[in-house]
Order: sequence, then C-alpha cells, then structure tokens
Amino acid sequence: MPAATARSERSGAAVAAAKPILVVEEVTKRFESEDGILTAVDHLSLDVAPGEFLAVIGPSGCGKSTLFNVIGGLTDGYEGRITVAGETVSGPHPSIGMVFQEESTFPWRTVIENVSFPLEIAGMAKQERFERARHFVSLVGLNGFERRYPAELSGGMRQRVSLARSLASEPKILLMDEPFASLDEQTRLLLGDKVLQIQQELKQTTLLITHNITEAVQMADRVLVMTYRPGRVKRMVKIDLPRPRTSEIVGSEAFGRYVAQIWSDLREEASRGMREDESRALHAPEHKK
Amino acid sequence: MTAAALGKSRIFPLFLGLGTLVAAILLIEILIRIGAINRFIVPMPSEIAESIPRVIVEENVPARFWLTIKEAFWASILVTVVGVGLGALLHRVQLLRLATETWIAALASAPTVLMYPLFLVIFGRNAITIVMMGFVAGLPPVILKTIEGLAGTRRVLVNVGRSFKLTQTQMFWKILFPAAMPTIFVGVRLGLIFALINIVGVEFLINFGGLGQLINELAERYDLAGTYAAICFVILVSVIVFEITERIERWLRPAG
Amino acid sequence: MAETGRLTRSRSAALTMGPVTLLRVAIIVAIVVVWEATARSGLLYRDVVPSLVVIGRAVVGQVLEREFYWHLGWTGVEIGGALVIGGLSGLIVGLVLGGSRLLSSSFESFLYYLGPTPKIIFFPVMIMWFGVGPSSKAALGTISCFFPIALSTAAGMRQIDEILIRVGKSFRANTWQMVTKIYLPAMRHPIINGVRLGLGVAIIGTLLAETKLSNRGIGFLIINSYSTFDMPRMYALLIILFVLAIGANALVSRLGGIENIRRN
Repeated sequence: MPAATARSERSGAAVAAAKPILVVEEVTKRFESEDGILTAVDHLSLDVAPGEFLAVIGPSGCGKSTLFNVIGGLTDGYEGRITVAGETVSGPHPSIGMVFQEESTFPWRTVIENVSFPLEIAGMAKQERFERARHFVSLVGLNGFERRYPAELSGGMRQRVSLARSLASEPKILLMDEPFASLDEQTRLLLGDKVLQIQQELKQTTLLITHNITEAVQMADRVLVMTYRPGRVKRMVKIDLPRPRTSEIVGSEAFGRYVAQIWSDLREEASRGMREDESRALHAPEHKK
Repeated sequence: MTAAALGKSRIFPLFLGLGTLVAAILLIEILIRIGAINRFIVPMPSEIAESIPRVIVEENVPARFWLTIKEAFWASILVTVVGVGLGALLHRVQLLRLATETWIAALASAPTVLMYPLFLVIFGRNAITIVMMGFVAGLPPVILKTIEGLAGTRRVLVNVGRSFKLTQTQMFWKILFPAAMPTIFVGVRLGLIFALINIVGVEFLINFGGLGQLINELAERYDLAGTYAAICFVILVSVIVFEITERIERWLRPAG
Repeated sequence: MAETGRLTRSRSAALTMGPVTLLRVAIIVAIVVVWEATARSGLLYRDVVPSLVVIGRAVVGQVLEREFYWHLGWTGVEIGGALVIGGLSGLIVGLVLGGSRLLSSSFESFLYYLGPTPKIIFFPVMIMWFGVGPSSKAALGTISCFFPIALSTAAGMRQIDEILIRVGKSFRANTWQMVTKIYLPAMRHPIINGVRLGLGVAIIGTLLAETKLSNRGIGFLIINSYSTFDMPRMYALLIILFVLAIGANALVSRLGGIENIRRN
C-alpha cells in the first residue's frame, strides 16, 4: 500500500517520464534488540529518476539511517530489493556515493588527498587523480585549501571535503545522510545552497536523508515523509517550486504551505514517537545503583 | 556472527585461552619426546613441573622470594615518598616545573638501568645497589603523574576550597591530594612495576639477592629444567603484583 | 612547556632570557659546581666522582675512537633486528587481536601479564637457543619490544573511528586497501607510541644482555670499563648512550606528522 501511494503521487511529474535510476522495492530491515525484534524499516519502496533530487524526511528513530545504510550497501540481512539502473545491488556500489552525517574526513590526509581517495582506490595514477580531484575541490569552493589538513578547516569546510570526495567517484546517485546535522544554522543554509547549485550543475541524482523540513523543501523535487517506527512511507509530496532555488525561497508563501503540510504529517509521527519513547522509559527497569 | 557472540561470552574466551596454553604445552612435550625439539635446549614441560618442588626446597626459594619482596618494598617506599614529594614541589613551584619537567620526561625515556655498573662501584655488590636501581627506574613516572594529577584537579573544587578560606596546607591535603589520588596511583603503580622489573633484572645481572640470582645460578649450573621453572616462578610473581596493583587502581578510579 | 623553553632560547641572543631559561642555567651551573667541588675535595674515593674535565675528555676520546663505532654498529644491528622482527610480529599480532573480539578476550591477557615481566631473565634461554653471539642479544631485544607494540596496536585498532571504516567500505576498498589506507593511518598515533616504547625497551634488553655476556657492543664497553675500573670512560659511555636513546625516542615521537598539531 505505501508503494502504491508513492507511485501514484509521482504520476504527472516531469521527471517521472525517465526510467528511474534507483529503485528500492519493499525493503524491510529488522534488528534484534533487548526487547525483542525491532522493525526499523517496513516494506518501504521508493524510486528516484535520473537528475532528480529526492528528500526522505522523518522523525528521529524512524529508521532513516537504517535506510541510508541499506541503500549504501553497508548493512545486509534485509528483505526486498535495491536496483541501480536495473541492476540488483548488494554491498557498496560504485554508482552510489555516500556522504555521512558524522565528521568523516581522514585526518591524516590533506584536502586533495581526501578528495582523490576514491580514485586512488580505483587505482588511478597520482597525477591524474589529483587533477580530477582538483576540479571537485573547486566545485565545492575550496580552492587554495588543497594542501591543508582537515584539522585546519572549519566543520562546514570539512563537510564540503566529504561531499567533494563522494562526487569525485562520479556516482550515478549521491546519497546523503543528514550531511548538515552537525553544523550551525547559517553554515547549514549556505552549504545547502552550495549543494543545490552543484546538484543542478552536474544534474546529479541525489537522495537526501534529513529530519529538517526547511532543508527538504528547499532542495528537493519530491519529499518522502516516513512514519515513526517501523519506518514506512507516509506520504510523497511533490515540491513544485521554481528552480534555481536558493535559501531565499524560504520566505515565500508557497514554501510555507509545503512546510506546513509536511509538518502536520511529521508532527503526528514525531509525537507518537515521543509518547512511545516516554512509555518505554517508564517501563524500563530502573538503573541499579 | 557466531565468533562475535562467543567473544561476548565470558567463559568461552577463558576456556579458549587456557585451552590453547595447555595444548601448546602438550605439543611441546610431544615434540620433545619424538625428538623434533632438542631436549638439551628445551626441557620437557613435565620435567619443569617435576623440578619445581626440588628447586623450591634446595634453592631456598621462600627466603629468596622474601628478599626480593623486601627490596621491592623499600624501593617502592622510596619511589612513592620521593616521587610524590618532588611532584608536589614541582606543582607548587611552577617555575621549577617549567624548567625541569621536560628533563624528567627525557630521563624517563633513558635506559637508566644501564647505570647498574656505576651503582656497583658506588654502593658495592649488595642490596642497596638493587634497591637504588629500582628507585631510579621507578621515580620519573611517579613525579610526572603526580604533577599531572595535581594540575588536573578540577577548577571548581579548588574554588570550593577557596570559598571555605582553606590555607595552602589544607588546600593540598583536603582538596588537591585526594582529587589527584587516582592519577598519582597510576604513577605509583608504574613506578612499582618498573622498580620490580629492574630489581629482578639487576639481581640476575650482578648475581646477588633473590629471584633474579636464582635464575642466574641455575643457568650457570646448566640446570635446564630448574632455570625454566625459576623463570615461570618470576612470571608468576609479576602476574600477581600486576593483578593486585591493577585492582587497587580500578578501585581508586571512581573516586576521581 | 617545551614550547616556552624553545621560544625563550631562540630569543636569548637578544639577552632577554626568560626566567625558565635562567633557572635551567642556574640548575646546571649548581650541579656542575657541586660535582666539581666533590671531585676535587677528595671526600669520596677518587674515581667515583671524576672531574667533569676528565669525563669530558673521555667523551671526546670515545667519539673520536674508531673502535667505538664498531661496537656502536653491532649494538645498532642488534637493536635494528630486534625492532624489525619484534615490531612486525607485534604489529601483526596487534592487528589480529584488535580485529577480533574473541581472540582478544582469549589471548590478550597473556600479553598483559608477560608485558611487565623483566625480560632479561629470559637471557639464559636465549643463549641456549641462539648462542652467545649477537643473535641472542637481538632475540632479547625482540621479545622486549614485541609486547608494547602488540598491545598498543591492538588498543589502537579498537579506538579507530568507526565512520572512517564505513567511508572506506562505501568506496569499496578491498581488504589490503582497508589495512594500508584506513586502519594503519588511523592507528598511526598508538602505533608510533608503541614503537617509541618498544624502542626504549629494545635498547634496554639488548644492552643489558651485552653487559651480561658478550664481546662487542656498547653494553660490553660499559661492563668492560667497570671491570677495568675506568670510571671516566664508564661515565662517558653512559652519557653518550643516554643522549642517543633520548634522541631516538624524540625522533620517533616526531614522526606523528603535522596534522596532529591542531587536531580538534
């Protein structure tokens, strides 16, 4: 049933004309936990068309990060199927570039060495990979910082290094898990603009996982709202806002309507999550002294 | 998955560790018996086990053990009193600390035990040389950890002391010292371990005293099984000291 | 603290010595004066505290002597061999233990227990196994440095930031690439610290073995100066040894690289 919703919502969208490049079919992932089996993601389906920007939004604890790890191939033991360009995927796939929520630059590598990492793994010669990496360093606006170490950069700059590193592998799909979560609000907005600009420039198919409504609406063509545990598709919202967009769009009336619509969905889920967390805390055994 | 589950269990790793040890001993025994290992280089484990009671009685092991313990006791008293005292002094007189802390750290990385021939000349071939060697080896970590502990006292605790108008002496004994205690003990424990290593080592090298000399004598007599048995005995002693001091350290830690 | 010292020293040319440097100079001067006074007073037996002039002359004498370098070379070869064999095996054992929770909880306690035993007591066994030549000294150095390197490698492996491993996997690095490009660089600080500690105990193990039974090496020279009661030479050798050991230790610490200077 959730899959059907997602499919029908998509009809009429311009991007839907193209064959989807990423298809997630009926994915279910369960974990063993102290109080039994926990279903993190439940029969979730989605697809992303080439060049499309899809945002997945949900309250904390809805299995967003699980979904990220499943699509990225870092988690196995799930049910369902993931295909990239028609090919079934298991394990990390070269077509998918991941940007992590946590600080993930290599502290022992300079900016250029960090960005050229995937090319190095692929066995490219040093000069060639540095040349290619330099392009992506300038794409994220870090020219002049090539020889710096991550410790010498700010948090926002380090996250841009991670982004450039993923882009350098020229993935068909860019998969991002709350990439701005650890940044302050202003940096977050500006970096969001940067990502959007790059995404448009490269026509980069992007799947962004976030809990931030503004971010999702500002950037995405479609927003998938997930339910609180177990994570299912609650609604797919098509964002019909003109492009190119910047963070200035946040003030517009249409923007506000989308935010309100998604918030009313999300609110239900988040408060359900909060109640469940509270009752779990209440019934949990007391800590031994 | 199963390996991870077994790793979490408590009994299985213990079983596997000890089981492997026993299996290795048995394997060596068999290899020696079939002649794959020269029995005049490695004695059979069963021979070593047989020789233990003989060595204990004939070589007067309890007395030797007691002598080594006494040496270690005096060395650790010296290390603790002088080390903590110097550490507190350097903490109190910051200028002195700035001038000498790197020197002490450098000294800690110097092979001071190589000074034992010098100590032989100064103190003679007796227990004082051994105690002094243990003292010299154990001193730097105690000084450094004492400074670290005292300097690491949380600012708010010092302010609490100030609000009660404590004198400098009260401040040291009521606030700084108790707060620094776990860190200081880490240093004392290191110092004690270094001292013990050097005491047994120097006993062996100068052929005087307790357990170290025992190994030297048995080896010089070419008593193969006895030498191995004595080595096992020294390992046992260090395991016991290591374990006891670690327990004390763990017990002290939450106090910080 | 070291920074302060370095800064003030560089400015000392302008005659603006900081109080720390002044105090250091004062301490050194005081030690020199007391030492020299003791040496000349004849209170102690003449040769136990020789004059600094005599010691200085002995240091120069050693450094200029050709034979000294032959002995230093042998000690260097023994320690080098110990570091290569003990270091590599320690690294491998550390990686294996750090990578498996089962193996670590089964076998790591053996390393913890054997780590703080006096290694020199194994010397009679090493002589039986490897003979009286340099290889028994290298063997003692090897078992000395194996333990700190294995233990800090295992601990370092468990401390790796898990996200860096996920990054490597997401780019589909193979096992060899994971080890050389993620695990080892991510563990560089604990490994270098292990090597630093290992070098220290390898020096001690090798030289102590040389003093016990040998006909070459710095340890042999030290014990030889004891048996010939050549105290200035013994002081000179100890001073040279300490300078070399402390220098080697500082050199290994420096290998940590530039990027840790302002790390977070």
